[in-house]
Amino acid sequence: MTARPRLRFLGTVVESARQTTLRLCRQRLWWIVLGSIFALVAVGWLLGMRLGERTNGQSLFCILAWWLHGTVLVPWFALYVGVQAVHGSLEDRTALYLFLRPVGRVPLLLGNWLAVSILSASVAVLGTLALFVGLAANPEVWTDGVHGHVAWVFAGSLALGAVAYAAAAVFFSAAVRRPLVWAAFFVVGLQQLTANLPVSAGLRQFTITDPLRRLVLDGIEPDARLADLLWPAETFQPEKIGTPIVDLAWLVGVTLVLACWFYRRTEYDARPRD
Amino acid sequence: MSMARSLPATGMLAFEHVTKWYGPVAALTDVTFSVGCEVVGLVGKNGVGKSTLMKLAVGLLQPSQGKVQVAGHAAHTRQARTLVGFCPDFETLYEDLTGATFVSWMLRFHGFSPSAARARAQAVLDQLGLGPHMHRAIREYSKGMRQRVRLAQALAHEPQFVLLDEPMTGLDPVARSQLSEIIRNLPSLGVGVLVSSHVLHELAAVVDRVVLVHQGRLLADGKVAELRASMPTQPHRLRIVVADARNLATVLVGWPEVHSVVVQTDGLEVAIGGEGSFYAQLTRLAATWPQPIEAVAPLDDDLASVFGYLVG
Repeated sequence: MTARPRLRFLGTVVESARQTTLRLCRQRLWWIVLGSIFALVAVGWLLGMRLGERTNGQSLFCILAWWLHGTVLVPWFALYVGVQAVHGSLEDRTALYLFLRPVGRVPLLLGNWLAVSILSASVAVLGTLALFVGLAANPEVWTDGVHGHVAWVFAGSLALGAVAYAAAAVFFSAAVRRPLVWAAFFVVGLQQLTANLPVSAGLRQFTITDPLRRLVLDGIEPDARLADLLWPAETFQPEKIGTPIVDLAWLVGVTLVLACWFYRRTEYDARPRD
Repeated sequence: MSMARSLPATGMLAFEHVTKWYGPVAALTDVTFSVGCEVVGLVGKNGVGKSTLMKLAVGLLQPSQGKVQVAGHAAHTRQARTLVGFCPDFETLYEDLTGATFVSWMLRFHGFSPSAARARAQAVLDQLGLGPHMHRAIREYSKGMRQRVRLAQALAHEPQFVLLDEPMTGLDPVARSQLSEIIRNLPSLGVGVLVSSHVLHELAAVVDRVVLVHQGRLLADGKVAELRASMPTQPHRLRIVVADARNLATVLVGWPEVHSVVVQTDGLEVAIGGEGSFYAQLTRLAATWPQPIEAVAPLDDDLASVFGYLVG
């Protein structure tokens, strides 16, 4: 046997990410994504045309970007693609071909997460920009002028959110047998429950929406009415809460460590199949 | 196919008192055997632990008790996985990839550079007869072609030990014959093989010895002929081709070694105890018998019969 250099940790992460990205890109799901992006442009444009006097273009963009894109489309896209990438290959056993190779499972999983993060973050950015482009096509309704800054705040924040949702998807896929059910509980149950807790509640740190919302509000400096629309549970009190990026980083870190722990030690081929 | 020859010829794969539990169920109990640079058949009914044994050997599962080692390394370690190739029994592959891409992707994790992985994948797929189709998507492949892709990913990184779980499944007769030839040649290239199959006569044609598993336990380990010879209480069945079968039968039933005689249109089927004395007597009888005894052939020295006797 010819002696070959062993693929090291980082090399395995990169190769796993590359292969996962290429595999995911071959799915038909991307036609739906493409259609959705065009739909977001159309929704923005049509709503912009019918905008009443009480709301200006920027507020409408913030509301749509947060409530439609940020709390529905981005989380579900990242969770679905993440579950497909990890749990899907465990269920159809294709992951076992990788487990036979002389590389660790941890870099394989981190590669999966990296791929899902990149794709989901790209969709988050493209979706946000699509919505912005649609609304900006009617510049007359932007009472203070069209400011690209607000689009980049949302795009950046939602991209970070996509990375965190990808970590959650990877964790659920590695740890439980019905990851999409648990993901639904996480997004619809835990996150909505904590949204009504006091600002100081520690449980907020175990969600993704909360730090994301703070990140957005920090970036766009909304007036009181818009802040209330985006964060209806209470008055925005930034001085009472921590740095959102650090909170997100903790959540992603802890989730990935747990995911890697499960992925490394579980005998997936021994567990009964439904 | 170039394969290495650096390992000793014995004990390449070693199971030492291996027990595997799935919760309260024992899938394997105290299994001990080793495989060197040879072809060993793994035989057993469905659900007796063959696949569990294979997965333990490639490190996908870890033993509850005992040790599984490949060339001295625990089977789940990277060193062991470098040395082992596994062709699993399940159907799934990356459907959207081409055969060449799938195999080259797997090779990347063995340290092959992108260009070396592509070249090696194409060479192996070519050797396995998939050359003209290697750039088509796997979802378009026939069952036999998919099986060749699975084989290719098991062999491409030049392993020193290969485990093949039902490798004949889905292959046409020509492909089966080609695969048998490949398997038979692997030990001469320094590669040990553990192969399981339900097609016992094909397995018997390629293996040097068999390991028989039943109800999670190792029931037998050895060459087929040795295993058959180790069952003295089990009568041997012979077919004797002779024109006057009825007359010969009346003589044979009087011999103490003969348990039963069944007269057929062109001969006899005889069940005997002590083989040696029977054959000596039959040789003497044949010299004086008025009609020529055209053939004497054992009916139950094959793997299927041995398997049947052992597991009932």
